[in-house]
Amino acid sequence: MKSQMRIKFPVAVVALLTSMLTAYAVSSVQSDSLATPESFTSTADTEARSAAIFAELGKVLTHPRCVNCHPAGDRPHQGELGRLHQPPVERGADGLGLAAMRCPICHQQANFDPGRVPGHPEWHLAPRGMAWEGKTLGEICAQIKDRERNGGRSLEELVHHIGTDSLVGWAWAPGFDRRPAPGTQKEAGTLAEAWVKTGAVCPTR
Amino acid sequence: MTTLSLTINGRAHGPMEVRDDLTMNDFLREKLGMTGTKFGCGAAQCLSCAVIVDNADGTSYTSPTCVVSAASFNGKEIRTVEGHAKNGELSALQKAFIDHFAFQCGYCTAGFLNEGQVLLERLAKKPVSRADLEKTIAEALDSHLCRCTGYIKYHEAVRDVILADASRYLRVTDSGGDRR
Repeated sequence: MKSQMRIKFPVAVVALLTSMLTAYAVSSVQSDSLATPESFTSTADTEARSAAIFAELGKVLTHPRCVNCHPAGDRPHQGELGRLHQPPVERGADGLGLAAMRCPICHQQANFDPGRVPGHPEWHLAPRGMAWEGKTLGEICAQIKDRERNGGRSLEELVHHIGTDSLVGWAWAPGFDRRPAPGTQKEAGTLAEAWVKTGAVCPTR
Repeated sequence: MTTLSLTINGRAHGPMEVRDDLTMNDFLREKLGMTGTKFGCGAAQCLSCAVIVDNADGTSYTSPTCVVSAASFNGKEIRTVEGHAKNGELSALQKAFIDHFAFQCGYCTAGFLNEGQVLLERLAKKPVSRADLEKTIAEALDSHLCRCTGYIKYHEAVRDVILADASRYLRVTDSGGDRR
């Protein structure tokens, strides 16, 4: 009897630890994933569902990989904490930096991990009118629906932009130890499409 | 691996195979032994590693070498600190740096020299007014760090070269063309 107890106790401890680790792994996967539009079908009210879908998409829009280059000021940010970009570059007239410090000089065609520098052929700062830094999700939502502040895009073009644009896609393949945006670009595009189909309603906050 | 061919200080190098993860700084210093280009912060913040890249249209810009791949320079023409002196004679800017005691440890000098040279060539094509000169120099050198704090000396050296040849670098102003 005693020997059985001796065996059961370590097994129970191992089982408990395993379940804790599994739960941790699941929760950390979940925090980096996106819910599907179908998972919102239990919300009967279409407007509420639309706003909830946008809130899910907001996990991407407010992620450092996106907000860092949609700053409120003239300097981009970097890193998970969104600290000011070093070296101290500025927006410049065309969003590609000042004369002596242009974005593509360091940011090449693709990520260069030995130098820890992200890259893309079109690397540049979002226009000032598309600043997301410091805004609520509701404010960002109203902004990206507004053609005056979204680069003149229709909602359909916005869905296409979020779901297929390769610079947007960099957020899911950021290189060198950077945390990618949640989910996948395709999933973000699917959410954007579902949001538009349900009326493109913005969250109140 | 990438096949790399480029021109450095007017001399063709390559084609040669280089690793994709090789930085341009390591390529210059370790592969070619051109140690005039320094390795400073390793994060493109001090620009002691900057070299001049010459575009086909005659314009130039400086580029850090510590955070960019050697492969990305394939087909390009660049200049390093080793290329400024001609026939053993220092360039006007190099002489001005010495005259002004602009550098102390000298680690940042190659970067400042390249940036200053690009500025001179830019002004020769597109002169600025005397009133805008100080701001123009400051903006051009702004991104370079000097731990010995030689900023004013560098600034003065660049300014002296420009004022010594004002008709080349400065625009005649509406108020009577005072270029001093």
